[in-house]
Amino acid sequence: MDAGALILIQLALPALFAAACLVLRSPKAVLATVALGALVMAASTGATVWAVHVHGTLGAVGEWFFLDALSAYHLVLLSIVFGLSSLYSWKYFAHPHEKARFDLRTARRFGALWFGAAAAMTLVLESNNLGILWVGVEASTLLTAFLICLHVSPASLEAMWKYLIMCSVGVAFAFIGTLLVSASAAHAKLDGSDALLWTHLKAVAGNLNPTLLKMGFIFLLVGYGTKAGLAPMHGWLPDAHSQAPAPVSAVFSGFLLNSALYCIMRYIPIVEAGTGHVGWGLGILTLFGLASILIAAGFIVFQNDAKRLLAYSSVEHMGIIAVGLGLGGFGVFAAMFHAANHSIAKPLGFFSAGRLGQMYGTHDMTKMKGVLRVSPVWGGGFFFSLLALIGVAPFAIFMSEFQILRAAFDTGALVTLALFVAGTCIVFVGALRHAVRAAWEPADEAIRPEPAGALDIALVFLPLAAMLAFGLFLPSFASGAFAEAAKIIGGTP
Amino acid sequence: MNAWTDVIVVLVALTNLGLLGSSRLSVCIRVVAVQGIFFGLAAVLLRAEPITVDLAVVAAASAIVKGIVFPVLLLRTARNVNIRREVEPFVGFSTSLFVGLVLLAFALWIGAQMPVEANPTGSLVIPLALFTVMVGLFTIASRRKAVTQVLGYLTMENGIFAFGVTVVGGIPVLVELGVLMDVFVAVFVMCIATWHISREFDHVDVDQLDALKG
Repeated sequence: MDAGALILIQLALPALFAAACLVLRSPKAVLATVALGALVMAASTGATVWAVHVHGTLGAVGEWFFLDALSAYHLVLLSIVFGLSSLYSWKYFAHPHEKARFDLRTARRFGALWFGAAAAMTLVLESNNLGILWVGVEASTLLTAFLICLHVSPASLEAMWKYLIMCSVGVAFAFIGTLLVSASAAHAKLDGSDALLWTHLKAVAGNLNPTLLKMGFIFLLVGYGTKAGLAPMHGWLPDAHSQAPAPVSAVFSGFLLNSALYCIMRYIPIVEAGTGHVGWGLGILTLFGLASILIAAGFIVFQNDAKRLLAYSSVEHMGIIAVGLGLGGFGVFAAMFHAANHSIAKPLGFFSAGRLGQMYGTHDMTKMKGVLRVSPVWGGGFFFSLLALIGVAPFAIFMSEFQILRAAFDTGALVTLALFVAGTCIVFVGALRHAVRAAWEPADEAIRPEPAGALDIALVFLPLAAMLAFGLFLPSFASGAFAEAAKIIGGTP
Repeated sequence: MNAWTDVIVVLVALTNLGLLGSSRLSVCIRVVAVQGIFFGLAAVLLRAEPITVDLAVVAAASAIVKGIVFPVLLLRTARNVNIRREVEPFVGFSTSLFVGLVLLAFALWIGAQMPVEANPTGSLVIPLALFTVMVGLFTIASRRKAVTQVLGYLTMENGIFAFGVTVVGGIPVLVELGVLMDVFVAVFVMCIATWHISREFDHVDVDQLDALKG
């Protein structure tokens, strides 16, 4: 079989599962299909990534689809986040509070949109055509909108409307940017359909019209940056993340943001080559990154809602990844490492907040006290995921943040370094206070502990073990994958 | 490029001002629909080379969706949520018209700054596309009703479509149709969202959706 067919299988699987969910006859069957489908997709991702490893790149349908190390790396992140969240939704929607509202209609809608969103994000990762890339991003916005208000309430509708309008308008900007970049190729004898193909644009990047390229990149950064939750375009993010059901929040934070950032990554080498490798685009990206870290830090200190806290933490981490990318060189490698760590640790945070929220009946952290006593498993998951997210050693995020610091120091970007340290320290102190209070203050007697099953334990244990393992010793297959992905965006290991 | 394009440019500029100056929702919806049809026509008329099948398909699909499907969908939504006019927008109608004129001047200025490659035909279509995008954004920012914001989004998309046809010759038809499908689904989803909002809140003043903070 042609290895390129794997690309199409990867895309067809979620689409098929989405259709299947629409005809199932019970909510339980939908949830089982969600869990099964995610596992099948993970297996298929494994095969695809292996093929990329062997062949270098894969292509299909002319040059419209292709996979290289960067997209393969993101594909792995997608299947990890999506797989964990799918298994978790089995537990989450089985809770008595949810069960009553999770009727067949809701379940079918959830399953179809869930797999539909996965298909859209896969399309983003597999497109070589920058127009199709955009279509995928916009489709993922539209498919996830109704997942936010799976249970209709005033607050969830408000969050959904903000998400829909802000991201649609933002992503429309990105389309203007795409057109401008493609127009900049007119000079380089690229025309028509070729001017939208990433591989072709990258090959002639030195000959592109720099003015149009720069205009285009600013539009792209603002557009895809809105979807990636970079400040100051992050207004929709805390609302959407906090109102969506926990499995949806996990996918939003763990991968939807990354898929938008991935689009920006694709343009970095083109813009850098087109503007003469002076770091013009990287500088702007760093600026957005620092703004995100500092603004998020401010909100984290005064945050009382557990899910909003995690949402602002996503803004912060997207900022950290952007800073890593903006530093270039070794910073890009660190950014890849950091993105992987965030995509493993953040879903656990949302899983725990979601389950604890079901036990306490609220996400208000002034009421969520004594979580370790109420539920040792999910309370532990919440406590340790917060520690991992704020960069406590020896969890892996400490290592990747340290590497970004080193990259900043090596390139002499001292202002960036100072602001980065300031921002992450504020987050550290602010979130640690919340974590300690949640863990050790005595719990309200009325809260009844809930027993944890094997799946609960696995969902908490696996991400934490991975974070510890990556922090203590980064295996060579992982560092190799990060380095390969970073090389495509101009990074060095 | 020819006299027809100039006529369309003027007409589209007028539709933009019509959108800004009108409070009646049914008028606004029809104005934006007419604009969509004009842009579909412009896409065909603008090309110097012979019209290809691809271009004809894209222009026709765009004109049908924007000129017929969207107005039907939006008028029905407006009726279902019982909204006839935009009441007390953040920026009044006469002020909006003035802002529109300023935006038009700004768009003409930016159009003049663009490198020649971006505007091979040298026509006024690029400034007009930019003007349309800006009017769309301004509508989203300055109006309260959900339906009017959808119209703003649609206006923006109209402008981007024109921009794409002018700036990049020969975007593959599949990409154009993919974009059109996304816009279609977006408007569809926004209409359903509007209906949900109206049922839950008994109004569709989205500026009052401000419970989530911090």
